Amino acid sequence: MARDYDHLFKLLIIGDSGVGKSSLLLRFSDNTFTGSYITTIGVDFKIKTIHINGQKVKLQIWDTAGQERFRTITSTYYRGTHGVIVVYDVTNGESFANVKRWLHEIEQNCDLVNKVLVGNKNDTPERKVVLTEDAQRFADTMNIQLFETSAKDNINVEEMFMAITRLVLRSKLEMMERQSVTHNDTVNLKQKNKPGKKNKCC
Amino acid sequence: MPVLTLQRSYKYIMYATKQPSLRIDQADLKCKNGCGYYGNADWEGYCSKCFRNHMDQERQKKSRQSQPEHSRAQVSGFSKFEEKKRQQTDKKNKYLKSLPVFRKSSSAKDSGRPEKYIDMRQANPDADKLMAEFISTYGEWGEYVRKDFFKCVQAFTTKILSELDAKPIEDLAEIAQNYYNLYSNRLNNNQVYQGITSEVGDELLDFFERYAMVSLYSHGFSFFAHHPQTTREKDLTIQGRIRKLSWVNAHHLDCCISETSIEVRDLVYTAINDLLGMDSMKAPQEKLSCVVRCCRSVVKVLQHCQGGPVSADEFLPALIFVVLKANPARLKSNILYVTRFCNDLRLMQGEAGYYFTNLCCAVSFIENLTAESLNMPEQEFQSYMSGEVTCVSAWESALVACEGMHQLCEHLALLKGLSEKTAVVRDGTEKLKEDMQKLKDEISLKVAQVLERTPLIIKPRRIPIPLTRENITISPIPAIPKIKDENLQETTPEMREIENIPHNYYLQNLSMLQLNLLDSTKNKLQLDITPCLTEKDVVQVQASQSAEFLSPSQHDNKSIDSLTPDDNSYLGLSKINYDIDFSDISADNSIAEELTPDKRKSPTPSFTTPDPFSPIGASCNIMQSPLVPLSSPIPMPIETKPLKRDDFVLPFLESMPKQTAEETLLDKLEETSIISLPSPIKPFTSEYTGFSKQGSQIPSIPCNTGDFSSLNLSQSSLPSTSKENIDH
Repeated sequence: MARDYDHLFKLLIIGDSGVGKSSLLLRFSDNTFTGSYITTIGVDFKIKTIHINGQKVKLQIWDTAGQERFRTITSTYYRGTHGVIVVYDVTNGESFANVKRWLHEIEQNCDLVNKVLVGNKNDTPERKVVLTEDAQRFADTMNIQLFETSAKDNINVEEMFMAITRLVLRSKLEMMERQSVTHNDTVNLKQKNKPGKKNKCC
Repeated sequence: MPVLTLQRSYKYIMYATKQPSLRIDQADLKCKNGCGYYGNADWEGYCSKCFRNHMDQERQKKSRQSQPEHSRAQVSGFSKFEEKKRQQTDKKNKYLKSLPVFRKSSSAKDSGRPEKYIDMRQANPDADKLMAEFISTYGEWGEYVRKDFFKCVQAFTTKILSELDAKPIEDLAEIAQNYYNLYSNRLNNNQVYQGITSEVGDELLDFFERYAMVSLYSHGFSFFAHHPQTTREKDLTIQGRIRKLSWVNAHHLDCCISETSIEVRDLVYTAINDLLGMDSMKAPQEKLSCVVRCCRSVVKVLQHCQGGPVSADEFLPALIFVVLKANPARLKSNILYVTRFCNDLRLMQGEAGYYFTNLCCAVSFIENLTAESLNMPEQEFQSYMSGEVTCVSAWESALVACEGMHQLCEHLALLKGLSEKTAVVRDGTEKLKEDMQKLKDEISLKVAQVLERTPLIIKPRRIPIPLTRENITISPIPAIPKIKDENLQETTPEMREIENIPHNYYLQNLSMLQLNLLDSTKNKLQLDITPCLTEKDVVQVQASQSAEFLSPSQHDNKSIDSLTPDDNSYLGLSKINYDIDFSDISADNSIAEELTPDKRKSPTPSFTTPDPFSPIGASCNIMQSPLVPLSSPIPMPIETKPLKRDDFVLPFLESMPKQTAEETLLDKLEETSIISLPSPIKPFTSEYTGFSKQGSQIPSIPCNTGDFSSLNLSQSSLPSTSKENIDH
């Protein structure tokens, strides 16, 4: 059976509600490439195929609910996730403050996952509250890549998605190498780690 | 320094963040056995390893239980737990016995594996249907694919059935997942499947799972029966909880479902139906597709409500709302079943995975729902939960409102239909009216025509000779005009002088007439004219009138149009004449016609008669109509008509011999026209002449029409009179 893609990754977009997660998703999946995405579904679920290093990578990006009240229940979203995009709103200090919590959430749900930090709505400088320097400093200490984007003006959106995809792809290739050395025959509960092509980060 | 500040900022961040309300302590998550690994609620708080050990022990105990009840060894630490477990298994047995489906499988189990194997091949409608579907859908990929597929399915189902009673459901799920994996690998690597595209491959994998699960299900393998008691309890718990939470509405969840909209309500209903349908499905894939359908409806609802793309921020609350309103049966069991036996790949990827994850989130939200998560004070929440306060559920009221709206809509539709019908009916009636009008017109036209035609025939018949004679005798008026006519020739020039004469003249005229018919003819004429027209340029008016008269008269003697003007102008006259006419002619449509002719014709006969009768007739007529004479003077134009009208009028004139009268009139007219109104009258006269010629012969024609009798009768008398007049 021939697959029409080399890799299939699941990305998660998290962040407070109203920071523009869905807009980023919409901008990315609708604006560029010949992405196949299921039109009937709306924003919630999108698939997009991109090419990295000559490899076809199919991305499916899951939008999540960012409200405080749903925070404790969203852990199920993390299952089988390869990469997480943490979004905050540069015009909203609180959303940046909550990034810490979101990162903690990721730690709790995934052992090893690639992350990027994204400051969205970076299109009106006069309303910008979270300075780039502060965000960069924070990103550096957490060892995360930072992007400031604007879904509205289509700034940096594609670059950001490409970057996270590259990170995920690299770690997957590394993992495959490692696994080829240590052959794992036993199957863990819930099939979280499966032999072969489908390697999940958690 | 920067580091310090950064640390401070972290601290700030940490403190700024609220601690999640439902955070569970680390200790709570550890295995009950204290082995250091994390436990899981599904495993009764054990870690996977301890749980398996525990289950093995359970099974051993169970087998021992089937022997003497009290012989089981009691380990102090586990005694309580055992007790509980025993009760559970008892319940479970009861539950299983109550399920006929399961009994069948248990009997199969007794008889051993071979029979099961045979069972697999026995008639199985669902599996047969699926097989047919497989062949129709994937038949094109060849015999090998099919064979391999069914071989794998067979292996899978046999394996599951063999392990059914030996292993807990978690192990069975593991086996299932292993088989899915195996088949997936097979799809990827086996030569048989080389030509198959990835989409078809995915479909095959799904189909593999579906077929296997359906055939297992229809063989009495109820996964629900294998669920531990706790799961079933959880089902009931969450059902009860949702029932308690029935007061929660969209507003509480901050979701933008407008409950009053009919479209939204319908969509929500379909979503609810799909969610409820999940329980009746057999294969996990089918259950999953129910969830997907439900979620799609929810997305549609949101799109309808907010009119744009939907984000997860709005989707999840809406889904929670739907789950709350649906309160599906065995929700927890179904979710567990799907998580265990659906291909893991499907649950972690794709649309179905996404929606199923959302459903799990919704369920766990409902399980952990607190006052805080609804943004309401604890007290209020408690009062709602305990039922102290019954919130007027917007949903319920919306249903009522929707019902009302629904009925309203239906009624509106009905009204619309009715109005359309009435419009059609109205159009129909309009048409009918038109038709009727047309018919009426046609009939009236025909009637008119007939009347126009018939009067000629009828008149003579109706008006016997004696009547005409009466007229003659009665009508002194006609006599007067005749006098005038004759005089006209002479008087016309003088008319202008005498135009402005007061009405009193009538009397004078009358008296004059009475006194000197012959001598005062001129004066009479003048008098006659003045009352009719009162205007100073009578001559002109007369001329114009004459024109009007003439043209119609020439065309049709019967034309009412031409007559009406006459009526107007000679109203008085007409009436007077009419009276006379009545006497003369029983019924005539054309009053004016008759009038005019009367005047003209009357003049001739009147001449003779008037002398003796005029005083009498005049006296009679005078009172009513001094106009009569007036009309008669107009004659100049009228006289032209008379020729034709004579035919009609003849009856009136009776006494007048038409030919003679006409001739005389014509002659006069010609003369008068030349004198007073040369140009307008000339043409008439010319025509007239023609007519006159005819007229001379006409008598025969009118006579034919029916006037004959009277004419003939009258002729005898009239000619003499006319001659007399002329002589005069």
